[in-house]
Amino acid sequence: MKNEFKDGFIANLPIGFSVFAYGSVLGVLCTQKDIALYELVLMNIFVFAGSAQFVMVDMWSNSLDVIGIALAALLINLRYFLISASLSPVFVNSSKKDKFKYMHFATDESWAITMQRLKTQEITPIFLFGGGVCIFFTWFTGTLLGFNLGEFISNPAKYGLDFAFIAIFFALALSMFKGKGDLIPWIVTAVVAIVFEYYFEGKLYIVVAAIAGSLCAAMLSKEGKENGV
Amino acid sequence: MEFNINAVLLIALVGLGTYSLRVSGLLLSSKFVKDEGRVKLFLDYLPASLLLALVVPSIIKEGVIGLIASIVIVLCMYKTRSVLLSLVLGVLIVALSRNFFI
Repeated sequence: MKNEFKDGFIANLPIGFSVFAYGSVLGVLCTQKDIALYELVLMNIFVFAGSAQFVMVDMWSNSLDVIGIALAALLINLRYFLISASLSPVFVNSSKKDKFKYMHFATDESWAITMQRLKTQEITPIFLFGGGVCIFFTWFTGTLLGFNLGEFISNPAKYGLDFAFIAIFFALALSMFKGKGDLIPWIVTAVVAIVFEYYFEGKLYIVVAAIAGSLCAAMLSKEGKENGV
Repeated sequence: MEFNINAVLLIALVGLGTYSLRVSGLLLSSKFVKDEGRVKLFLDYLPASLLLALVVPSIIKEGVIGLIASIVIVLCMYKTRSVLLSLVLGVLIVALSRNFFI
């Protein structure tokens, strides 16, 4: 069990580097918005979702629009519902208590790496937990350094670190490619994502395109036809 | 440093909402999903389609370099199946282009 924690932690370290760099950017933004250290710490602990935290800090002002900001952040985090649903094979032998305990540590990164690992070996939620703690640790230290030291990685995009997220998520998606049968669902997902992102504001395209692609795959599959609904 | 009740309220709201989203998908799927059938298939495809949905618009926005980096990642995954190497190559291509070609 300890080993799975360690495995999860180590598997998340490469992307943890980018998480750290972007944490430091968020820390700097917090100082510019006069966000107090305790507010940043509370956010890191209780929200613990990078893109939502960026939106919260971006919308932050002296007269805080609590409902508006909360809705915007939660809209971005809607994908966690799908992420959570897709993790059910990992939690298949787990108690409810374990689900409540470990799911807070499901981030885009730790989830994606867990799902990929699941294809080659049987893992328990401890792997997800170890990865989540790695992301938690790198994110937290990144934000604190940015908050206290100011800009030490002034422009992470210059080093392509923003593309690190895209590259790893894309590579992980490719590792899940099962063959020609996946082509149509993949194209549907990509086209819906591009079109929806173009015409609608915000991050809703993630959830919409993912549902469209998965629906398409479920409809096209021969397995589904044989087994019924 | 003064205590801002609105800020704490906001963080509590987003925190609770996000945690609920993180838990509810798992709880609902274990209630409704049988071992076969279309719901199971739908869930099986979610990881890949979520990841794709996350990245495709960002790749397009990156322009030609984004497409080149993506093609290299596809080739690298096809030849080596190494996510780490794909990550390094992708970042390297984008970083080089931003520092030397723009």
